[in-house]
Amino acid sequence: MTLPLPADLELTAVEVTLDELDRDGALREAGSRLPRGRFLGLAAVGAAAFGGLAAPARGVTKGDIAILNYALALEYLQSAFYTETERLAAVRGQAARVARVVGAVERAHVSAFRDLLGRKAIKRPTFDFRGTTEDQQAFLKTAVAFEDLAVAAYKGQAHLIESDAVLAAAVSIHSVEARHAAWARHLFGIRPAASAFDQPKPKAEIDRIVQSTSFVVARPQTRARGGPRFTG
Amino acid sequence: MLDEEAAAVAARTEPSLTRTRLLQSAVVGGGAVIAGGVLLGGLPALASAARSPEQDVRILNLVLLLEELEAAFYGDAEDRGLLRGELAEFARIVGDHERAHVAFVRKALGDKAEAKPRFDFGNTTSDPDRFASTAAMLEDTGIAAYNGQAVNLTKPVLKAAATIVSVEARHAAWIRDIVGQPAAPDATDAPATERQVQASVAKTGFVKAGG
Repeated sequence: MTLPLPADLELTAVEVTLDELDRDGALREAGSRLPRGRFLGLAAVGAAAFGGLAAPARGVTKGDIAILNYALALEYLQSAFYTETERLAAVRGQAARVARVVGAVERAHVSAFRDLLGRKAIKRPTFDFRGTTEDQQAFLKTAVAFEDLAVAAYKGQAHLIESDAVLAAAVSIHSVEARHAAWARHLFGIRPAASAFDQPKPKAEIDRIVQSTSFVVARPQTRARGGPRFTG
Repeated sequence: MLDEEAAAVAARTEPSLTRTRLLQSAVVGGGAVIAGGVLLGGLPALASAARSPEQDVRILNLVLLLEELEAAFYGDAEDRGLLRGELAEFARIVGDHERAHVAFVRKALGDKAEAKPRFDFGNTTSDPDRFASTAAMLEDTGIAAYNGQAVNLTKPVLKAAATIVSVEARHAAWIRDIVGQPAAPDATDAPATERQVQASVAKTGFVKAGG
């Protein structure tokens, strides 16, 4: 239900994931295209957006709550990654734009899930992105891995969701993660759509991959009562 | 110079993209509240009769029409051979994907699959700008269609559809990034109802017979 604590410091499975999919090789010069147009109009997304379930998670089954918390854990990971990248301001050009635009979206996903879950929401873990938020190529590569991972994760849960409302919300986010994946891949210079079908990954596999990154350094207690709150 | 070019392309592609966005915002009654609309407001309109294999057939035939349309569109673009560079690569690769989707959905439907319509794409498969804006519109429509039907499909079919919709989303982001449009303009992809998808297809004028 929550992101696992890191167990080791082995080379990340993120790289395995990428290498599997990177069939096109060389990096592409993408800097000359400057997408313009509006940025995100996200103000309405979040608290107000999920207002209809204002009494948190009312009528949502235990299973769906677990899935929502799983999604929230992934969104925490993503939003923290982009937010830190934007704050450190070390990546440039289109990658910086990805950090800003995608970061805003992932933060919106976080608040939406938190609002929906209310007191049942897991708390934000503490992350250490190990330099990937301040290096151009490491940032893009990790962004690709995170987004591809999120696509596979949502896809692995869709058929397990019981509530139609939760399912509709999940699929509407799932395809946005796929857009992000394609965008990051395009900038990184690999094929945005590697095959005709995107395969799902079960939760255990996602957990294992996330764990192998060692990005999650502390996981707070899920419940309000229990051990002392971790503040590191 | 390149910036101006990108701006010009974006300006020319805007009408079609706007049309898709209008379709999407119509679903939830206002573009500004997309996430909320998707989660709840949009739902009563989305959920139809209880899930059933018969309903799956109707929905699969709807997405088959979209996949046929896309496959034929990219195939036509490739046949004409007037696209260059990354647009040509896009048409070739995405065309392969859409043909695979057609085959997959046809196989799932078996003898319940409807016949392939005839299409006429005008100059949208030969003019690079019109190709790009039409591709973006078709892919966005595909995403909205799949997202809209998720709550109506039986679980095994939903599972299969989920492997396709994210590829459509990748296509949409790819073509949008090629022409300098925002690859992922919103925090959620709004769904479309069956009727809205049909209206959207009709509006293209591409379907000449059948469908």
